[in-house]
Amino acid sequence: MRLPIAAGLATAAVSLTLYPLFEGGSWFWASMGAIVVTAAIGMGASRLAAPPWAAPPAMVLALGVYLTAAFTGSKAWIGFIPTKDSVMLLGELLGSGFDDIQRFAPPVPANTGITLLTAGGVGLMAVLVDLFTVRLRRAALAGLPLLALFTVPAAVLTDPISWPAFVIGAFGYIGLLVADGRERLGKWGRAVFVRRTRAVTTDAAPDTGRLALSGRRIGVTAIGLAVLLPALLPNLAPAPLFSFGVGNGLGPGGGNIGIPDAIAELGGELRQEANNTVLTYTSSDDQPRYLRIYSLDVFDGTKWTVNPLRGRPEDRVSEGPLPPAPGLDPATAVKRAETHIAISDDIRTLRFLPLPYPATQVAADGDWRADRNSLMVFSTDDEAAGLDYRVVTGEPQPTPEQLDLAAPEPGSSGRRYLDLPPGLDPRVAGLAQRVTEGATTPYQQAVKLQEWFTKSGAFTYSLKASGSGGDALSQFILTDRSGYCEQFASAMAVMARMLGIPAKVSIGFTGGTKIGDKWTVRTHDAHAWPELYFAGVGWLRFEPTPGGGAGQGTAQVPQYTLPVTPTASPSPGASPGASAGADDATGDSGPAPRNPREIDRDLGGVPIVADPGMPLLVKIAIGVAAALLILLIPAAVRLSARYRRRRAMDRPAATGPDPDGVLAVSGGTPSRTAPAVSADPPARGASAVEAAWAELCDMLIDFGRARRPGESPRALGRRVAETLSADPGTIASITAITSAEERRRYARTVDGPAPAAADLRRVRRTLAAAASRKRRLGAALAPLSTLLRLRALGEKALDGFDRLENIRLVAGRSRGGTGDAADDTAGNRAVTVRDVQGNGSSRERSLTGSRS
Amino acid sequence: MAATPDVTDAETRLETLVDTADRIRNAIESVIEGKSDVIRLTVTVLLAEGHLLIEDVPGVGKTMLAKALARSIDCPVRRVQFTPDLLPSDITGVSAYNQQTGEFEFKPGPVFANIVVGDEINRASPKTQSALLECMEERQVTVDGETYRLESPFMVIATQNPIEMEGTYALPEAQRDRFTAKIAMGYPEPAAELEMLDVHGASQPLDKLDPVATTAEVRALIEAIRAVYVSQPVKRYAIDVVAATRNSPDLLLGASPRATLHLVRSARAHAALSGRDYVIPDDLQDLAVPVLAHRLLPSMEAQGQHRRPEQVIDELVRRVPVPDIK
Repeated sequence: MRLPIAAGLATAAVSLTLYPLFEGGSWFWASMGAIVVTAAIGMGASRLAAPPWAAPPAMVLALGVYLTAAFTGSKAWIGFIPTKDSVMLLGELLGSGFDDIQRFAPPVPANTGITLLTAGGVGLMAVLVDLFTVRLRRAALAGLPLLALFTVPAAVLTDPISWPAFVIGAFGYIGLLVADGRERLGKWGRAVFVRRTRAVTTDAAPDTGRLALSGRRIGVTAIGLAVLLPALLPNLAPAPLFSFGVGNGLGPGGGNIGIPDAIAELGGELRQEANNTVLTYTSSDDQPRYLRIYSLDVFDGTKWTVNPLRGRPEDRVSEGPLPPAPGLDPATAVKRAETHIAISDDIRTLRFLPLPYPATQVAADGDWRADRNSLMVFSTDDEAAGLDYRVVTGEPQPTPEQLDLAAPEPGSSGRRYLDLPPGLDPRVAGLAQRVTEGATTPYQQAVKLQEWFTKSGAFTYSLKASGSGGDALSQFILTDRSGYCEQFASAMAVMARMLGIPAKVSIGFTGGTKIGDKWTVRTHDAHAWPELYFAGVGWLRFEPTPGGGAGQGTAQVPQYTLPVTPTASPSPGASPGASAGADDATGDSGPAPRNPREIDRDLGGVPIVADPGMPLLVKIAIGVAAALLILLIPAAVRLSARYRRRRAMDRPAATGPDPDGVLAVSGGTPSRTAPAVSADPPARGASAVEAAWAELCDMLIDFGRARRPGESPRALGRRVAETLSADPGTIASITAITSAEERRRYARTVDGPAPAAADLRRVRRTLAAAASRKRRLGAALAPLSTLLRLRALGEKALDGFDRLENIRLVAGRSRGGTGDAADDTAGNRAVTVRDVQGNGSSRERSLTGSRS
Repeated sequence: MAATPDVTDAETRLETLVDTADRIRNAIESVIEGKSDVIRLTVTVLLAEGHLLIEDVPGVGKTMLAKALARSIDCPVRRVQFTPDLLPSDITGVSAYNQQTGEFEFKPGPVFANIVVGDEINRASPKTQSALLECMEERQVTVDGETYRLESPFMVIATQNPIEMEGTYALPEAQRDRFTAKIAMGYPEPAAELEMLDVHGASQPLDKLDPVATTAEVRALIEAIRAVYVSQPVKRYAIDVVAATRNSPDLLLGASPRATLHLVRSARAHAALSGRDYVIPDDLQDLAVPVLAHRLLPSMEAQGQHRRPEQVIDELVRRVPVPDIK
């Protein structure tokens, strides 16, 4: 009979974890209602002994009625009988609920549709849990629907599930298992208890209050460990307690995110009929800037893709400046500018931020993280749509001379920017060599290559070009020479790699068109361009795609490629308004040596926290050190206890009055009544003796000679002295401690020779000398006495849980009692009944459970 | 009362006590070699105002011990040889008609002494046994409606022979309970036996034994022992130990409250003999077997496993935790 209730409770407990998904609490009460309805039907089915298959349909039916009554009562017949109208309305609400869930990011507003959807879902889960637990008697399997419910917030939210929610959910499930176990045992007879044996057998009556099912202990312990252990363990990622979800826990310190097939999307956008505004921006120098979204660095022969990104929590853009641009020498002049970008609300799902390169700082709402290698900024749970953010960039302003000197050395880690798949048409490489003939430096090669694409190569811009499959690349370079930005960017990057210049392809938008005082970027400004690497300045944008009316409208050749080819200029009509001075290097901020501090000025005093960027090894070392420190806690506790006791022993006795009146008396009349006042003060306070004794006991535990329960101080001293075969001095020390303790405990007065700290030291030395090296190490690093004390604390906590259990069970006693009477008359279970009549055993009775 | 409680210096009293007790012990030891434990226990029981049951095979010196104790104290000693035809009046005494005075006159029996040695007590009929046992407990004798108080100290040292079954009436457990302690003499060590041959071969050492203490001295000792301090934890410990015998599955019958009383009382004496004016758990532990074992009945299981009550008590004492303050 209890089982359906337990199933409902478990579902309710787990559904609590949905809390962070919603704004407002209406969904909760609606869901609780659904659970109550299903549990009630489940109980009814159990009571009426309905066949197991009948219960779930009945529950679903009842759930339907409940939802009708709760949400579409006005359209239903007498408030709850579903009618055609009410069903239609329910369907509409469900549809809108689905739409809303698609539309909103959590926490979603708990409007009617979403509440209905949630209540229905939770209700169905309750039906499933009931089906597994009560009908099929497979309570453990009920964990599956519960887990499904539990994973919803875990999957949707990046934030970890709070631990109280986890504990409640876990207790719900364990409660279900316990109820099932009881029901099972109840069918067989008396529950068998695991009794924790107490050392003392002197208890007058058997201690039924301490009986407990060991399973419950294990459950409680497991949950406790699950909550505490992750909190205690050093964590490389600063994820508190629980780190479920995409954003955490998948890799060392950060999640991965795949990017959509950027190339395919790019082509699609360019071919769109409608040319919608994607974003608008203003910049401090009023210059158009290419806005990069993706940076593709892997070429597999047919298309460009990206290495897995890594957005570590410490690379959140909100945490401080972005990682430094790869390869950019601090000595290189940079031009800083601040760009304020507003992304349109209506764009498709975009989890990457369009940014000018190289960004040094991004101020955007949400959990945006930068990939260290590519400086792509992305988020696993926030979307760019509607976002309004500011970017500070520090564009390198290299002189052609500087670029001539720059070697294209990407460093060992940058070798991959030269990787080309085998099987490329060798003619392409030959062509690359021929085109760049006469160029003496990689930079000149790159410029010649760009010039070849935009001018001398007789390429034409066409959106009808074949896609990027198979040998489309060599076909584009060698024969067709017709395509759009994707082909141009890809071809130039591949050829640059063939020439030994590290290259990758970026995808994003061109600088757009200036409308009013804002730069507007539209769908047709979507663009791809190559980026080539030069040591000292890092990645530089090149523009092989023809611009202007016959090409990509707003594409612009970068300034630093111009001096060598002074005739090459951006198409005049491409950027109406501002294109004339577009790449003027002498803009308002002007080139200046890179000085990180000056960024502050640009940002109007927004403080910037430097990212210390701890290397992994240091973190591991810190983690190991933290773990060691945690392990050493018992040793520290032990040391402090020893120090405290020494202090207590050294304290002059006269200052501390004896805690016990009996002890304060020395001598006196020999009558049996308590003696009167004594003239002599006690030689040493009882606390000192107690401290010495406690320390001795702990020392003995640490060295594996623990005191036995029935051992008096005197017997202990004798045993230790014998087993240690100690020298007379040590024996005298032990005796001093034990006899003082004996007097403290049992004599009228505590006075007499008092133990000194030196006694303890001597005993410790002797103990250590007699112990093995392992034992000595253990005594110093992991003292058993402290560990035992910790365990005792834990046991006390478990006892507390047992007591809670008793409270609940005692309340249910009366119901069990009536059942007994019935059994008594029936004449069976005589043993059980007698147990009930003996006092104190009724607990077992009620544990036997119902006998439905 | 010879001993006056106005002695203020407890230590001096204690020293006197230890000194006197040592004299008695030495005196007995001059007769019985190598049995210092037994002798110490005997003196303990004497000072605890208890009675002693000595059980052992014939010839190990049971009677000798009783006699030596009696002889070392300068006090009236009576010895009763128990036989099946012994009557209660043979112990307590009778009222006889005095023809000269024409009145009934009480003739005190052997129980009117400070130390009564009851030899082979299990040979007497239960009726006679119980007459003695009543005297032991009440310390008085009632004959023909007249009650006669016995003198202090009053100690019965009874011996019994465990192996002789025919014609014996084993003491029922209720009566064994009246004895403070039961001890077994045990065979002497070879060295002690050798010395015994030397000494006893020449003469009867008992004859040379002179009293080393007076009745008044013993009474003073008993009085002093009553003042030995028993702390609350130790009292609790005594109760714990006794309660453990009642709960032990190895025992059919546990120890009685009287056993607790006897245990604590003898522990006082034990502590005083050790020169302490307070009882420690070790006193109780040392005395648990002799004071408790003879009162217990082992369960059938324990009997089946040949586990004697002595063993059971040993285990219990090891298990019961020694008390701390509070």
